[in-house]
This record gives sequence, structure tokens and C-alpha cells, in this order.
Amino acid sequence: MRKGETMPVPAHHIVATPPPFDAPPYPADIFAGQTVLVTGGGSGMGLAMAKAFAQGGADVAIMGRGIERAQEGAAEVAALGVRTHAISCDVRHADAVAAAFDEAETALGPIGLLANNAGANFPILADDISANAWNAVTRIAIDGTFLCSTEYARRRIARGEGGAIVNNSAQYIWTGFPGDAHSAAAKTAQATMTKKMAADWARHGLRVNAIAAGFFPHATSTAGRREGGTEVLQNMIPAGRTGSIWEFGWLSAMTCTPLFGEMTGQIILQDGGESLRRSLMMPDYVPPRERAEGPWAWQ
Amino acid sequence: MNGWLAGKRARIEGGGPAMADALAAAGATLVASDADIWVHVAPPPAAKAAHDLTHAEWRASLDAGLDRRFLGAKEFAEQCRARGQGGAILFIGAPEQALGADQAAAAGALGNLTKTLGVEWARDGIRVNSILTQETGPTLGHLAAYLVSDYAAYVTGAVMGIALDD
Repeated sequence: MRKGETMPVPAHHIVATPPPFDAPPYPADIFAGQTVLVTGGGSGMGLAMAKAFAQGGADVAIMGRGIERAQEGAAEVAALGVRTHAISCDVRHADAVAAAFDEAETALGPIGLLANNAGANFPILADDISANAWNAVTRIAIDGTFLCSTEYARRRIARGEGGAIVNNSAQYIWTGFPGDAHSAAAKTAQATMTKKMAADWARHGLRVNAIAAGFFPHATSTAGRREGGTEVLQNMIPAGRTGSIWEFGWLSAMTCTPLFGEMTGQIILQDGGESLRRSLMMPDYVPPRERAEGPWAWQ
Repeated sequence: MNGWLAGKRARIEGGGPAMADALAAAGATLVASDADIWVHVAPPPAAKAAHDLTHAEWRASLDAGLDRRFLGAKEFAEQCRARGQGGAILFIGAPEQALGADQAAAAGALGNLTKTLGVEWARDGIRVNSILTQETGPTLGHLAAYLVSDYAAYVTGAVMGIALDD
């Protein structure tokens, strides 16, 4: 076997799979009459969240850095039969966030639910992360989640209504992620602020949870651009497959349903066992700097 | 309520009728033997300072909160493998730090056992998760049903609570 190559999942292994996209776990009206705002909702995991909320009947405000991608995502969500509105917003700026919420509420009514997905993530050595790159990745996730969550919470508290936030965190928040220092820091901050905000806002009926997500390939994910696609990655993961993007969307939306109405401050791991896979005897350690195929070793 | 567990057979050990009702409401058939789902609910031990616990009390908490769970899970996994089908295991109990040192030891051990078995049995199609909570309301039943359903097919080795202080 060539270095860097992996075997397919053996035929005698049993791989657990989710129901198909058109069979969501909740009724089509569970979010009826509510509007969700999804940051970074134009593509990838944010779009999966947006679609999951739409499958429960929520109208969806899709926020993105660029309006074109937000509009493309909104069109896909609208095809599920809900009202949508696309907004351009840089979540690192409080004024821009407030203006975006105003625009979304004018178009779709009060924002009742919030999904924080905006983020960036790419393989890079810590040595090569410029101050600008560090600031961009950490502030989109850390400051962006703070600014959007607090803008949302102030509005809900002012209305005297509860609500729910779900944050897209990552499977590597407990272990670090060599070759991705900025995202390792940022995603853990999202998870730890999730718990504290849940405590701060419990008395207002606002719930805050996060999904520590594993690898859910999509058109714009880094690994999606890998030569040979993601097929070769299936056998690396204990579950025997990468995640299906809609099962991530469903679990995210599920935390915001009344079915999980008592849940708050939780970080739910959904990674097919990927972050837990280990053995005391493992292949030689190669520093990210010396990995032939890049910092994540499979670029 | 929903059809999350339609066609699934669930075996529940411990706990009250609420968990059985929740799984049945999600469409599961409750059985006493061959099952696709095994849910183990451990009773919360009394909250006592460590120096007030007798060894017998300590042992009883570890028996119910850890040892029986491992042995039961092992037996369930063997049955799944014998049938050539996957399955789902769910451990339910009190949070680590909520009661006494006996619970802290049992729940801590259970958490890391959950992570270990989730990976060890992943390619048998057997998922292993834990809910450590003091909540007894409807979310517990819904969350339990979700975790043992195919909707949670990518959730294994996960340990979670429900409320803030879980």
C-alpha cells in the first residue's frame, strides 16, 4: 500500500446509516411560524442547518460574507417551501450584525432561533499563520458567535420570549488539532461560551447548545477538493464513513425543538467516533511541518 | 409521537416506566430478550460524603453504575454480532459530580468506557452513548429515543447531559 493510501471499508463491517434527507426526524410544522437566522448559511454545514430548519417549517434568514453565496443557499432552502431572505454581513462587526438582524426581521419577522455556523478552516502550520489569518479565523468564530448570540439574546429578552441557539463547534475541541491552530482555538471558545451563555440566559428561557461536529464533506469543504474525493477517507473513521451533511443539520435543528426543550449548555459529539480513535501503539509521529501531503497529511 | 424506532426491539434494564413509555411512543417494541437496542438506567445513589460511605455502599454504586453496565453491554454486543446486525447501547444515570464520590467514580469510568466501546464496536455497527443527567422530564425520553435511533447513526462515544448542572 502506498503511503497515504487507505483501504476501503471491508465488506463484513457493519456501517450504521441515517434515514434519507426526505425523512427528517420531526414533523414539517415543528418550527412553523418561527424564523431562524443561520450565519454562514449559504453553503456547507450552515446550508445543511438552514435546510434542516426549513424541513421543520421555519422561515430562514441566510447570512453570509458574500451576498451571492447567501442568495444561492437561500434559493435552495426556498425550494423546500419556506420563506427565505439572504443577507450580506461580516459577523466580526457589532454594527453590521445589528443591521443584519434588523434587515432579517423586517423581511421575515422576529428572529426566534439562531444557528451560529460562520467560520473558516484550512490546513496550515502554526508558523505560517499570519496575524491577519489568525484574526480572521478566530474572530469570525469567536467574536462572530458572541456578537450574533448577544444581539439575538437582547432582542429575545426585550420581547420577553425564549428561544434557542445552536453553535457549530468541532470534534477537535478537546484534543487540539495540529495543523489547524486557529480553528482549534476558535471552536473550543465556541463550545465554552455555549455553556456560559446557557447559564446566563436560562432565566430568560433561552437555550444554547453546540454540536461538536466531525467530518461532513460538502462541495466547499477542504477535503471535498481532494483528488479522488472523500471516498478514500471512509475507512479512517470508526463509523466506517464520513458524515452525511443532513444528519448534522437534523441534530443541530433538533436541539432547538420543543422535543429537546429542557436541553441547554450541552456539547453533543457527532463524529462517528473519529476523535476517539486511538491506540497506544500508533504509526510514527510526523510533525505537521514534515508531512508530505500537507499539515493534515491528506491534502 | 414519532416513528424514530419503528421496527426496532428495545430492552430496558432499570429505571421507571417513563423510559419504556418514551421508547414505545417512538415506535419501539419492548422486549425481554433479543433486542436491537439496550438501554441501561442506573438508580442515583444517595449523596453522602466519601468518609461516610461504607465499602458495601461504595461497591453497590459501582456495581450498578459501572460493572453491570459493562457486562450487560458486552452480552448485548455479543448477541448483535451473532445476528450479524448492528445495535445501539445507551447508558443513563446521574452526572459525575452531582452526588457522592461513588457516583463520581462510577460515572467518570462510565464516560470513558462509553468513548472506548463506541470505537471498539463501531465496525460491528454498534453505537454506544451516555446521558448523565438529573433531569427526569420529557426531554430525557426524547433524547434517549433519538440517540438509539438511526437518526443518530453518526453519534457514538458521546457523553452528554440535559440541564445546566448536569
